[in-house]
Amino acid sequence: MSAALRITNLVKRFGGLVATDNLSFDVEDGQSVGLIGPNGAGKTTVFAQIMGEHRQTSGSIELYGREISSDSTPERIRRGVSRTYQVPRPFTDMNVLENIRVGLMPNNIWQMITAKPRYQQETEIALSVGFTETDLQKTPGELAMGDLRKLEMARTIATGTKVMLLDEVFAGLTVAEIAQITVLIQQMRQDGMTFLIVSHDLKALEPLVDKVIAINYGSKIAEGSFNEVLNDEAVRSSYLGAA
Amino acid sequence: MNLRLTHFLMWLAFIALMFAIPEFVSKGTLRTLIFANFLAIFAISWDVLSGRTGYISFGHPFLIGIGAYTSAILTKRFDVPIELAIPAAVAMTMVGGVVVFLPALRIKGSYFALVTLAFMELMYQLVQVIRPDLTGGTRGMSGVQTLTRGAVNGYYLSVSLMLAVALSMWLLMRTQLGTALSAVGMNEESVRGSGLSVTKLKLFAFLTSAFVAGLGGAFYVHYLGSIAPRALFDINFLFTIIVAALIGGASTIIGPVIGAFFLTFLLEYLRPYLPGAERYFIYGMIALLLYMYEPKGLIAIFSKGWQRLRGGAGSEQSSAS
Repeated sequence: MSAALRITNLVKRFGGLVATDNLSFDVEDGQSVGLIGPNGAGKTTVFAQIMGEHRQTSGSIELYGREISSDSTPERIRRGVSRTYQVPRPFTDMNVLENIRVGLMPNNIWQMITAKPRYQQETEIALSVGFTETDLQKTPGELAMGDLRKLEMARTIATGTKVMLLDEVFAGLTVAEIAQITVLIQQMRQDGMTFLIVSHDLKALEPLVDKVIAINYGSKIAEGSFNEVLNDEAVRSSYLGAA
Repeated sequence: MNLRLTHFLMWLAFIALMFAIPEFVSKGTLRTLIFANFLAIFAISWDVLSGRTGYISFGHPFLIGIGAYTSAILTKRFDVPIELAIPAAVAMTMVGGVVVFLPALRIKGSYFALVTLAFMELMYQLVQVIRPDLTGGTRGMSGVQTLTRGAVNGYYLSVSLMLAVALSMWLLMRTQLGTALSAVGMNEESVRGSGLSVTKLKLFAFLTSAFVAGLGGAFYVHYLGSIAPRALFDINFLFTIIVAALIGGASTIIGPVIGAFFLTFLLEYLRPYLPGAERYFIYGMIALLLYMYEPKGLIAIFSKGWQRLRGGAGSEQSSAS
């Protein structure tokens, strides 16, 4: 059986800098995988390559057994992989529902003109990530950081994604907001969503992942259960900065 | 689409008002109104592209010029019937729209604006140098076939065209497509991250804008019966278009129409007092103040006033009961 997401021998060079160094890993369908590593380890670069924002120097990226390396970002999203950003990027002059609407839209000019917005579905998605009825008409400027993260996840869900890449979802959140997002991710895991999660907040990450992959200098240094990886000698020294 | 009865009634009232105007005003005022109608068309064209997607065009006279010159040359030099010349001019302008679109694939912001400005300047030089036997060179062309005779007919033609353009663009921008184009203006990366092709959306905006500019340019030249490159590829003309869209209310379609009429009449009523270029100083000041006070334009001021009026009426009713 093929994995939901399979990265094989991925290499990315920026000039002389090797940002991703022969990295391989699998994310099984329905699995939730944590991607950890110290600052500058290349986690976000891996996300950028999976989404096609950067093209890898070599290696392959397969989604449900299909090579996606030559697809554009919108094409990859249509095939079922989507990401959120560390700094949320909402549409500032649109309310919550309209932000989600953009994610739900067909990528076809004619259908954009003829098809009506699916208010029902927009509302369902908004409520499912934890917005209340009164939030629906709010614009991003009126929302707190935790709500902006939820909005970003809602728009990502709206694209019909099956594999969700979360980049530092807990950064800058209050304890209460972290708890909310945690519940949300748990619920989505139960509903069958596949996750690849980058987070510095290991405590928040622990309950959310089936498996953890640690990378440093762009290559994999450990893979296994949360405790195995955290107790790994190479991982510990990479975080502490020791040789 | 979210169309409401009030929208329908407001459009109906607007159209009725515009068609009733010739009964009440002088021929001179009508000629001013005709210019306002064309300016409104150009401002809508600018708004569809720049107001929505945030790709600020400083080169709209380039597009308008393609429409005007193509139709003028085809009818005057090659005796092409006007019914064929205008569609050909619109098609040529859309090709021009693709040309302006190409740099938008790589650059944005002020750099894009400067490149479009270069397009306008290039066109100005080209029509003077290349085949002046066709373009009329520096002097431009006169004796171009006109569609109408007299101010009243000219007014009806221009107002029909303006209303058709305004209504169709307004309807188009109320669809999900309008939302998507606005989204491009707010955050291109997030549009791409929502699975939509930004390139496709931008190309559509450029083509639609060019379509409207070409239509306006071609009809304008067949209303005036002449073409003067110095007036067309003029920075003042360009800024009048942009300011009309901005002070009226960008990204709204109706705003640019209001802005076009406001500006045209402002310039016209200042003329007796300030015959020279000082008028532009006053109009610049007014535009600046308006823009500082309400960046969303006249339309925002009107709708706030309207809401206050309705709110006031509502509270009166509640206090009466």
